[in-house]
Amino acid sequence: MGKISVYRFLSAGCNGCDVQVLECLVPRYKLAELNVEVVSNPEEANVLVLTGGVNIKGREELIKVYEKINPPKIVIAVGNCALTKEIFDKGYPMVGPPDQIVPVNFYVPGCPPRPQAIVKAVTQILGAKLEEKEDYWVTPEGFRGKHEFDRDKCIGCGACAQVCSSDAIDIIDEGEKRVVRINYGRCSFCAFCQDECPTQAIRLTREYHLLTNNRGTTYVTNDVNLLECASCGTFFFPQPQIDWALKRIIEEKVPKYLEFKDEILDAMKLCLKCRREIMNVKKAKKTLAELSAKARGS
Amino acid sequence: MPEKVYVGPYRPQLVEPERFELLVEGNRIIDAKIELGYMHRGIEKLFTTKTYMQSLALAERICGICSGIHTLCYAQTVEKLMNIEVPERAKYLRCVYMELERLHSHYLWFGILAHSLDEHKAFLKIMVERERVQDLLEYLTGNRMNYLINTIGGVRRDITPEKAEKIHRFLNESKSLSDYIMELLNDNGDFTRKTKGVGVLPREKALEVGAVGPTLRGSGVASDIRKDDPYAAYDELDFEVIVENDGDVRAKALVRAGETYESMKIIEQALDNLPSGEIVSERKEPKIGEEFGRTEAPRGELVYYIRSNGTNIPERVKVRTPSFANNFAILEMLRGETLENVRVIIESIDPCFACTDRVTVVDAKTGERNCMCLK
Repeated sequence: MGKISVYRFLSAGCNGCDVQVLECLVPRYKLAELNVEVVSNPEEANVLVLTGGVNIKGREELIKVYEKINPPKIVIAVGNCALTKEIFDKGYPMVGPPDQIVPVNFYVPGCPPRPQAIVKAVTQILGAKLEEKEDYWVTPEGFRGKHEFDRDKCIGCGACAQVCSSDAIDIIDEGEKRVVRINYGRCSFCAFCQDECPTQAIRLTREYHLLTNNRGTTYVTNDVNLLECASCGTFFFPQPQIDWALKRIIEEKVPKYLEFKDEILDAMKLCLKCRREIMNVKKAKKTLAELSAKARGS
Repeated sequence: MPEKVYVGPYRPQLVEPERFELLVEGNRIIDAKIELGYMHRGIEKLFTTKTYMQSLALAERICGICSGIHTLCYAQTVEKLMNIEVPERAKYLRCVYMELERLHSHYLWFGILAHSLDEHKAFLKIMVERERVQDLLEYLTGNRMNYLINTIGGVRRDITPEKAEKIHRFLNESKSLSDYIMELLNDNGDFTRKTKGVGVLPREKALEVGAVGPTLRGSGVASDIRKDDPYAAYDELDFEVIVENDGDVRAKALVRAGETYESMKIIEQALDNLPSGEIVSERKEPKIGEEFGRTEAPRGELVYYIRSNGTNIPERVKVRTPSFANNFAILEMLRGETLENVRVIIESIDPCFACTDRVTVVDAKTGERNCMCLK
């Protein structure tokens, strides 16, 4: 591939990714050496860089621009809005993500992706080599990048899914497994999940080069075993969470319950439905017996 | 015979898409209209579907360039609703982070101004030097933009002595960039010639259209929320409000250049007087009622209004961004100018259309277009 002429298109984003694309032009990233330039007219371009999730008004413009791009018509979606609309997913004017409107070849996840990530993506697409000697290619300590699970620590409680600001975490119960799935192509990298996790099982690593050509692969998953109901046999609750809760409640917080440990364990082996049916009858019987004894005594 | 000229919506010179309808006679602009909506995302509606904490990430994504100040303004308004006292150290840290953001935003603006004046050497020089602020912000907060450093009740990351030292080192280096920009504006070269007397916004007009921030200060009005209605630790820090009287593009540039020095002064003072203690207070339940908060964003006064019904999800959030107030100033400045200057005049208010995008309502009977104030 000869000269690469890039045309930028933005609709319904926050502007952050667009500024990062602009920053790629700074000489230290050496894009000019790869024969890459940014052009001001779609008719002169052969690569289209998309940012933002596309709204009703941008849709027509996007189709018009796409038709004007010269072959090979490579389309790169930069940033998570261009992948999945991210936090704006449920906004009423949104019609994207862009790959629903025009074909997209590559995706660069991030919110916003570092210019380094965009430059690396471009060089990888071109099959070129890049020298990465300088410090700025390494992310600093505390950078919020791709997620990582500590498989031993995760108890499958789902607190991360509740606090997630852009609905990027799904809790899926399949048979005897519960799958906790983080879609980093939809993540806003706020790290609320990392802060909120009761067992510190989620960590945001310093990995930032996340280029992909398939939007369906941007997942980090972990699975935990579900407990089987002793009565009806359905899988209903993550086993590690029960262990964690028991340890926390009985051994750390309220040691006086220690003598009822077995009863509590038995009760926890029943699913909510069965527990309601069986336990309440037992409790009702017990209460009735107590009441009648009291009456006889007086 | 006047004719209509359309500028935009997708013009590579501007970072963001928008469309201007200019009524032109010869080479002079008689009237101008603005058409927005290419960036509209329905954010104010989305606010009412997320909890107060989740909305922090949403507030930040109203605008990627001034993302920090949006979370600060939002958090301060929620803190009023929840009746939270922010720790002293967090107040100082907020000042440090927000002034660093002002530096990066103003430098970016100078870069884009140089670009729109076709001064490519200056553009590259400013953008190269500006990388230092971005690297520093990434080092301090964990992300280059959308850093989510402010939270309800304080800040999320502390500044350790070694981080403080890195900031001091950065301030020494970045002074040279501000000096370079000042020189560009004062050396009577191309930069001065192309901006002097262009797009004049007289003091009375600026007040009439309700301009804010550097656009207003460039027209001789000393208005700065950091001084007029101090928030965070600004009442304890010493800085000046930069005012220029000419009202043209150069005056606005001089205001911003002066502000970069003031920002450095604020950061140095805040770091030297950093109180010890906690950096975040505990969150509480919001009261039933409404609150109003304002801060000085890099582009001017930013206003948040939040109404709460006592649950963990706000009932209504209204945002008035500085670019929305300044858009009317563009129309005022464009009148009577020539077509060559359109680009630099539009850039002079540092427009942020991600911030300001509205719904356009078209009257089906008359075809008349009106902008509505929905975020």
